[in-house]
Amino acid sequence: MLFNSFNYLLFFPVVCVIYYLIPNKFRWVFLLLASYFFYMNWEPIYAILIFLSTFITYLCAFKLDKVKDIKVRKVLLIASIILNFGILFLFKYYNFLTDSLFNFLNYFNIRVRFPEFKLLLPVGISFYTFQAVGYSIDVYYNKLKHENNFGKYALFVSFFPQLVAGPIERATNLLPQFSKEIVFNYAKAIEGTKLIIWGYFMKVVVADRLSIYVDSVYNNINMHNSPTLIIATIFFAFQIYCDFGGYSNIAIGCAKILGFDLMTNFCRPYFAKNCPDFWHRWHISLSTWFKDYVYIPLGGNRVSKKQKYLNLIITFLVSGLWHGANWTFVIWGGLNGIFQVVYSIFKPFRIKLSNRFTNLIQIISTFILIDFTWIFFRANNSADAIKVIQNIFTKHGPLFFGDNKVFIYGFIGLIILIIKDIYDECSFTLTFENNKIIKYTWYATLTILILMIGVFDGGQFIYFQF
Amino acid sequence: MKKYFKIIIISFFILALCDYLIGKGLNFYYLKNTSGLLYRTTYSLDSTKADILIFGSSRANHHYNVKIIEDSTNLSAYNTGSDGHYIFYQTAVLKSVLKRYTPKKIILDFNGTFEFSQQDYDALSCLLPYYRTHNELKDLIELKSPFEKYKLFSKIYPFNSLLTTIIIGNLEINKFRSVNKGAYKGFVPLTNTWEYNINIIDKPEKYNIDKHKYNAFNDFIKLCNEKNIPLTIIYSPVYFKYNKDYSIDICSEICRKNNVTFLDYSKDTDFLNNKKLFADTYHLNKSGAQLFTQKILQFIKH
Repeated sequence: MLFNSFNYLLFFPVVCVIYYLIPNKFRWVFLLLASYFFYMNWEPIYAILIFLSTFITYLCAFKLDKVKDIKVRKVLLIASIILNFGILFLFKYYNFLTDSLFNFLNYFNIRVRFPEFKLLLPVGISFYTFQAVGYSIDVYYNKLKHENNFGKYALFVSFFPQLVAGPIERATNLLPQFSKEIVFNYAKAIEGTKLIIWGYFMKVVVADRLSIYVDSVYNNINMHNSPTLIIATIFFAFQIYCDFGGYSNIAIGCAKILGFDLMTNFCRPYFAKNCPDFWHRWHISLSTWFKDYVYIPLGGNRVSKKQKYLNLIITFLVSGLWHGANWTFVIWGGLNGIFQVVYSIFKPFRIKLSNRFTNLIQIISTFILIDFTWIFFRANNSADAIKVIQNIFTKHGPLFFGDNKVFIYGFIGLIILIIKDIYDECSFTLTFENNKIIKYTWYATLTILILMIGVFDGGQFIYFQF
Repeated sequence: MKKYFKIIIISFFILALCDYLIGKGLNFYYLKNTSGLLYRTTYSLDSTKADILIFGSSRANHHYNVKIIEDSTNLSAYNTGSDGHYIFYQTAVLKSVLKRYTPKKIILDFNGTFEFSQQDYDALSCLLPYYRTHNELKDLIELKSPFEKYKLFSKIYPFNSLLTTIIIGNLEINKFRSVNKGAYKGFVPLTNTWEYNINIIDKPEKYNIDKHKYNAFNDFIKLCNEKNIPLTIIYSPVYFKYNKDYSIDICSEICRKNNVTFLDYSKDTDFLNNKKLFADTYHLNKSGAQLFTQKILQFIKH
């Protein structure tokens, strides 16, 4: 069930009403059932996978809690990781690996046919696998006590607002909330409702509108010239931000109405002044996951400079691979890793200037670098990405407009988005900001704009494919 | 919780009021359109009384020169072809037309495939403004999604993403622009010329047939047969080569079963050997449309 589907608009209010009507001690059971119902709406059979992942990590953590022997504990953790990532590998990476191997061997005139798996990628598999594996690692490092209640743990893995596209929650944050008594909190519910409205605006008004232009350009790159490709790439930067940021806002908002606090996932990423700053603001739940479970175990900052740089590159390459089984994502991750390393090398030589002008230059230059990496993220394959870069520098001509609605409605959405992000980033205090009428008018306007210029046909969330 | 529900209910009523007022305004100006795509849809559904009607997608819209047809047949004609709208739209327009009158001749430009495509269902959005006023369209519109009738409680929803088109359609300048382009009774010629060489395209050998599309196509034929309207189905020229097209095979088979004339121009060398007649691989330009319309005149006359 998509957040921007009519089904979800019916599903969520019904869940909320029943949730608050039933006694507190049964609420987690109801949420668990609702979460599985939500997931099974896509492909019922794949609920088995999420259950399997839940069962494996629960069992391993249960044993980890009992066993004191370090070697056995290590074996248990490795078993949990291998089994979980094994499922992920089979569904997401097996065909990519065999295709890459086939092409590599074919280059040397060796033709080996590997068995093919034609399986549909289960929605959100990367998200819940990482969340479940994170739990196992936390229990292994004694950061958290094993959750005895299998049902509550199953709810942690399958909690519907964040099940299919995050935020990738930590057990230390979310799991204890399922055991607390939830009392309806007016302020939280209002905050959640506002986040949901803003999330829908980002998704259907901005992301889905810009995607029409981006898709038409990136699916026919040979036909397009420099100005068109530049505009499409800039649009894609905002499309992916609004798509994923919008989804996160809806997820966090829904959880808030139900009385739960999920972690912030996006913090106005295009205001970043450098690449590391960008990764502190973009997909925060995934960045911190990689930091805690990949970068730090590799040695983090407590190693030689060379090793640290290598760790950064490895972490970002893995992050790229997490996003998709395609070399474009690996290159995208690699480029981001290189930017991090370059920043770390030059950081000591940086002249510290901080005024509005230098801040703006830093923000724009970071945006250009990040947007450059998005070319690889969006292109259908590596050759297309190279072609885009070539055409940007060599193929001149007039801008392709396509459907004028994209530009008109897209710009309306973008202007509202940018104004709101500037307002939030600069923490402006306006004299009328606490005026209730203005607040309600703002959210009513957003809702009307969603109805008037939102894109209702099609439009899956980009991050579902991961 | 009571306070929250109170706020939600009050907000809902305020939004419903805004939705009603804005929706009514949009509907008013939508129907006031005097030119453009939306006007052509309304005109096709509600006003045309032409003897010869041309149905199809953008290919029909740009390929069948109404002026040439009218001049050589001495009958009135109208081109209902609409960009990106396939068999569902065409059947819907025919249903509305037949409620009002019986045309003397119908040409259907077959441009489709019987394969499932979500876009074809999404394209039914263009009929949403007529849901409440045209009962004959309800079944087709509801193919879009089972929730469509509930979504239509919103008065703005039928006009989603149409604001600029409604504004432009109400401007006189748009009318002049259409006339200057050579647009005439629904026919809109394309002026650019294709520059690239011809390609060979692989068409799927077989696919699962979308039963809704298949039924809509059959319904179109059935409606014409019931009213004894002579129907000709045409696959107009394309600028690519292919070995076999499963969709054309199905179309031709249906036509054979129903005794409907089917003309396939996709391999006509007059067009395949002259890229100057095309605006792109799927669309003829003004010169191409002129040549093509003249070619099919003999079939229209009969």
